Amino acid sequence: MSILQVRDLATHFFTQDGVARAVDGVSFDLNHRETLAIVGESGCGKSVTALSILRLIQAETGRIVGGSIKFEGRELTTLTEEEMRGIRGHDISMIFQEPMTSLNPVLTIGTQIAENVVRHMGVSWKEALDRSQEMLELVKISDARRRLDEYPHQLSGGMRQRVMIAIALSCNPRVLIADEPTTALDVTIQAQILDLMLELKEKIDAAIIMITHDLGVVAETAQRVVVMYAGRKVEEATVEELFAVPLHPYTRGLMRAIPRLDVDAEDQGRRARLQEIPGMVPVLTQVITGCAFAPRCPFATAQCSAERPPLIESRPGHLAACWHTDKVLEAAA
Amino acid sequence: MAAVTDAVVPRAPSLLAKTGTAIRRNPTIFFGGTILLILIVLAAIAPWITGDPLKLTPSQRLRPPSERWWFGTDQYGRDVFARTIHGARVSLVVGLSVAAFASVIGLTLGLLCGYFRKVDAIVMRVMDGIMSIPSILLAIALITLTRPGLGIVLVAIVIPEVPRVVRLTRSVVLSIRSQPYIESAISGGTRGAKLLIRHILPNTMAPLIVQATYVCASAMLVEAGLSFLGAGVPPEIPSWGNIISQGRSFFQIAPWSILIPGAFLTLTVLAVNLLGDGLRDRLDPRLSRRM
Repeated sequence: MSILQVRDLATHFFTQDGVARAVDGVSFDLNHRETLAIVGESGCGKSVTALSILRLIQAETGRIVGGSIKFEGRELTTLTEEEMRGIRGHDISMIFQEPMTSLNPVLTIGTQIAENVVRHMGVSWKEALDRSQEMLELVKISDARRRLDEYPHQLSGGMRQRVMIAIALSCNPRVLIADEPTTALDVTIQAQILDLMLELKEKIDAAIIMITHDLGVVAETAQRVVVMYAGRKVEEATVEELFAVPLHPYTRGLMRAIPRLDVDAEDQGRRARLQEIPGMVPVLTQVITGCAFAPRCPFATAQCSAERPPLIESRPGHLAACWHTDKVLEAAA
Repeated sequence: MAAVTDAVVPRAPSLLAKTGTAIRRNPTIFFGGTILLILIVLAAIAPWITGDPLKLTPSQRLRPPSERWWFGTDQYGRDVFARTIHGARVSLVVGLSVAAFASVIGLTLGLLCGYFRKVDAIVMRVMDGIMSIPSILLAIALITLTRPGLGIVLVAIVIPEVPRVVRLTRSVVLSIRSQPYIESAISGGTRGAKLLIRHILPNTMAPLIVQATYVCASAMLVEAGLSFLGAGVPPEIPSWGNIISQGRSFFQIAPWSILIPGAFLTLTVLAVNLLGDGLRDRLDPRLSRRM
C-alpha cells in the first residue's frame, strides 16, 4: 500500500549558465511503514527530490517543472502554499543534515518543539510543552523537563539531532524525510540515532525516506533502495537484492568503493584495493542525450551515449536503467 | 594538642568579588557605563543641585572657576556649571531618543527589506538616497523650514541615522535567512510574520544594540554641531553646542565657558562609544575580532 507516489518528478533550476536539471523524471513509491533509501553521490539530486516533495524549492532559483507527487491520494504539486504549510511538519516532516545549525540558537528547546505542536495540533502552549517533554523522553534525552528550558548550544551534536527528531515526530507524521541525518555525527552516535529513528518509526507508524550517500546506512535501515545519478533514477530494488546483484554499473562502482572487513587482502589480491569510479559527475546544465553515466562506465558502447536506456525490470522487482545489464552480470560472475 | 582548626569552607564569592571579576572581564562596559550613569543622574537632578542656568548676574561676568562659580561665568554672568549640567539633559535626551527611534524604524524596515525582495528593491534605493545627503545639511534645511525646537532636532537627526540601521539589520537578516535553522523552521510549516518575528528578529538583537550605541554617540555630536551653528535647540535651552557657540568670542579671556562643556561632550561620547565597544565584545565576539 503506497502512501507517497512520486511520478516523473522534474525539478529544474534556472541559473546563469542555463537550466540545471537537478531532478529529471524520477518516480518511486513509498509504502506504508517502509524505509526507502535514496542513494547517490553529491549533486545527484537526492536532496532536491526531498525538498521538492515538501515544495521547499526557493521560487527565485528553481521550481518543479513536471510530474506529480501524491500523498495519501492528494496531489501535492497543485496545493496552495497555505495548504502546503499544513502538510509540512504535520503529515510530512523533515530532518536535516546539520544538527549544529538546524536549531535556532536564540530559542529554547521547549519553544522549538512546542511551536510545531501548537501550529499543527491546535493545543494550548502549556499542553504543547507537556507534549514536548514527552517527545524528549521518547528520543531518550534524560532530564527532559530541565532540557526544555535549555538552549541549543548547551547540547551536544547527537543530542541536537535527537531534538530535531523530536520536533519532526512531534505531530505524528505519516512520512519522515531524513536528509543525511547522520553525516555530521561521529560513528558511535550515528548508530544510536539510526536505531532511535527505526524504533520510533515503528512506534508512531510512519514511513521514512532516508537520503544518504552511505551504503552502510542503507543496508542497516532500509527495505528498498533507489539509486540516483545525475537527476535520474538508475536502479531500484530491495536492499537484499541490490547488495546481492547490483545491475547498474554505477551501483557496482559505489559498492566497490566501500572498504570491507570481511575480504582478506592477500586472499583477494585485486579486489582488496578500493576502486574509485573514474571521472566526474556530469554538469547538470548540459543536455545529456544518452545514459548520463556512459562517460564513466567500463561497459559503455556507442548505443549508451546515443540513446537513453529505459528502466527495465530485468529481475523480479529489480529495475535498472542500463543497456548492458547482461554484461554487468557476466562480469560479476 | 587537639588539632581543631577552622575548617576551610569555600565561601560563595561575595558581591564585591563578583563585581570585581565582572569589571576585570569587561573594563570598557564598566567605565563607559559608569560615566554615563553619573551623567544621567546629574542631568536628572540638575534643577536641585545647580542654580538657574538662565539667570543673568551682570556684576559677575566672565569670572574664572572659583568656589562660588565652580565652572566660572560667561559674558552675561550666567553660571557655566548650571548651564553645562542642564546642557547634559539635551545631549542625553537627543542621544537616547535618536538611538531608540532610529533603531525601531531601522529595525522594522531592515527586517522587511531582508525578508521581502520587492520591499528591498524600493526601500534600499530610498535609503541610498538619504545616505547621499550630508546629515548636517539635511538637518539645517529641515530646521530652517520649521520652528526651532527639540522635536524637530530629533527628527532631523533620526532621518540620516535610519539608513545605517536599515543596512545593518538587512544584512543580518539576509545571512540568518540562509541558516539551516530557518530552512528547518520553514520545513515545519512556519512562514511569514511568525518566522520573521520569532525566528529571525531575536537573532538581530546583538548587532542592533551595538549599533544603537554608535547612533547615540553620533547623534550627540550632530546635535552639538547643530546647536553650535545656531540651527539646533533654541538658545533659551542651554545645550553644550550653544554654550560653546556663545562663549566662542570670549575664548581668549574666558576659555572655561568653551573648554568645560567641550570636555563634557567629549567624555560623554567617549563613554557611549566605550560602552558600545564593550557590548560588542560581549555580545558578538566574532565581530570584535574582525574589526
